[in-house]
Amino acid sequence: MSTVIEQAGGERADLRRLGALALRAGSLLAFVAVLVFFSATAPFFLSFFNFTNVIAQSAILAILAFGMTVVIIGGGGNVVTGGIDLSVAANLGLCAAVYAALIQAGQGDATAILTTMATGLAVGAANAFAVVAVGILPLLATLAVMNVAAGLELVLTENTVLSASTPFLMAINNVGPFGVPNLAWILLVVAVVLILLVQFTPVGLRLQAVGEHREAARAAGLPVARYVAATYLVSGLFAALGAILSVAYLSGSSTGSAELLLGVVVTALLGVVFSRRLVPTIGGTLLAALFIGFLGNGFQLLNISSYWVSGVQGALILLVVAATSVLRRKES
Amino acid sequence: MAQATLPTAQHRRRLPDLVFQMGLPLALLLVVLFFAWSSPAFLVPSNLESVLVNNFTLLAIVSIAMTLAVASGGIDLSVGTALDFASLLFVSLIAAGQPFGIALLAGLLGGLAAGLFNAFLIVALGITPFLATLGTLFIGRSVQQLTTGGGIPIYLSKAKVPEAATFLAHGDILGIATPLWVVASLIILFTVLLRATPFGRRVTAIGVQPAVAWYSGLPVRRDLVLVYLLSALVAAVAGLMLSATVNAYVPSSGNAFLLNAIGATFIGTTLDRRGRPNVPGTVLGVLLLAVVANGLLLIGWNFYWQQVGTGVLIFLVLVASFASRRWRKAA
Repeated sequence: MSTVIEQAGGERADLRRLGALALRAGSLLAFVAVLVFFSATAPFFLSFFNFTNVIAQSAILAILAFGMTVVIIGGGGNVVTGGIDLSVAANLGLCAAVYAALIQAGQGDATAILTTMATGLAVGAANAFAVVAVGILPLLATLAVMNVAAGLELVLTENTVLSASTPFLMAINNVGPFGVPNLAWILLVVAVVLILLVQFTPVGLRLQAVGEHREAARAAGLPVARYVAATYLVSGLFAALGAILSVAYLSGSSTGSAELLLGVVVTALLGVVFSRRLVPTIGGTLLAALFIGFLGNGFQLLNISSYWVSGVQGALILLVVAATSVLRRKES
Repeated sequence: MAQATLPTAQHRRRLPDLVFQMGLPLALLLVVLFFAWSSPAFLVPSNLESVLVNNFTLLAIVSIAMTLAVASGGIDLSVGTALDFASLLFVSLIAAGQPFGIALLAGLLGGLAAGLFNAFLIVALGITPFLATLGTLFIGRSVQQLTTGGGIPIYLSKAKVPEAATFLAHGDILGIATPLWVVASLIILFTVLLRATPFGRRVTAIGVQPAVAWYSGLPVRRDLVLVYLLSALVAAVAGLMLSATVNAYVPSSGNAFLLNAIGATFIGTTLDRRGRPNVPGTVLGVLLLAVVANGLLLIGWNFYWQQVGTGVLIFLVLVASFASRRWRKAA
């Protein structure tokens, strides 16, 4: 998909930049318009409490979507043959179950954190092995791994909620400095670190090169396979991080984490429109996650039935993708 | 020179080819033998029929729909949506006292609506099939929640279930269960359609080389519209079968088939020498999943371990098939 853009010549690139600017400005405008609309119609919407809470509630989805975004950046934007990690949500479910089970077994937070991280990494490693070493399509490889992870979660929890509560988990769920929930702080810190890492370090730039121009990256001597494998490990690690936040937020494991998957995919794909070159970026994904969070929250405050939410999300991706594909067709 | 090296290259390719193509049937055979050996209740006619009727039929139908989309180079994530729409219309109309034929037709049209929407997004707006059908899935979920008061199932009382529906789900013709006749006809129909008709060959061409198909003057847009309509229509048949079996419409129950259908379709590609999606391969893939689910239950694995077992098995089949694909390329 992105190759079309790169093939475009100089003046076309100008045209494209203009179009991309319009789209990006359009999507940012849409974001602002939604915020303004909700603050005008639902007075509580713009309150500090509500605002920071929405950010906190978006943390888990956003962090999973960060992992997905890293995979897409490294694997290329084509959803079928490029990078995608369908196992993130199931991985989160498994990791959350591991954490809660360890706490219930009387282990401390430190052990639980380490084991959870190891679990997330192991799932990521399975993906990396299947995609990089064996060469299975990412869509397919991560689908298979997803099934295994979901099965292991069921074995561990027998489809029940394992509750877990420790001072550490409660601290995560508390309100932190400046009256902002700790979950929101964690999200912002993770986002800033990841943005710096992906957009501003040599490693990050090389990762983008691997995703966008695989052959060129290979010709330049980059260890392409290692980069792609690393993205799945990162994604696994983020699933584990999301799991710890989820255990804190829900005071235990949850049985419905697999349902997060499509939301994560939508968030990562929607994020593309918030970037200048219409490519996946961490910042774009953050904005998309917040956008979806505010949309759901505004609907709730306006007493609009939550039944509309998934339809609006679906219409949103279609709108965005249709706009980008029309833009891209114009250039070529 | 190319001609001179060709025979040896072919010769060397033969073994990996064979491993690649025979992987899936072999896996199925091994699994059947294993369960036959470990559980006396497995290789019994009544159990085999139960595998086919309960574990195989619906997933096979949905997977045929998926195979069509994948063969055209796309994917249809909204097969579950078409299934649900069909089920919703069928069951609501029966519940409202309409005759079976009208409800059946409405159900098929409901499924087609999802396909029409996909076709519009993919062909008219140029959205990639993955994203287009993902959008349809999301919108379809909202539509179902809005029309059912947030996802309340519709149940048909025994008195309301038409005889034809009972026959469709539980009847038999010549001693063979009706659902098996339905699925067998669909398998034959779509195997022939994809393999032996101009339309099928065009679809395969579009899937393999979309640009070449376009420049060769193939009616790519028209064919893609047909592919997504057909995919939705086939999924709608699964929706009708499901409603007739459980005498109910349960919102968003179609999505349960989605991931297994994708898995079966791609596992099935190994049956083709060139690794292309094909209906017989898909059917073998579904059969493998069905046999494993049934067999693990019989040897006493609980539902949770079954999930792990099935997942690991699919993973291993994929690893074996893609590894041999690489081996073949290297040879």
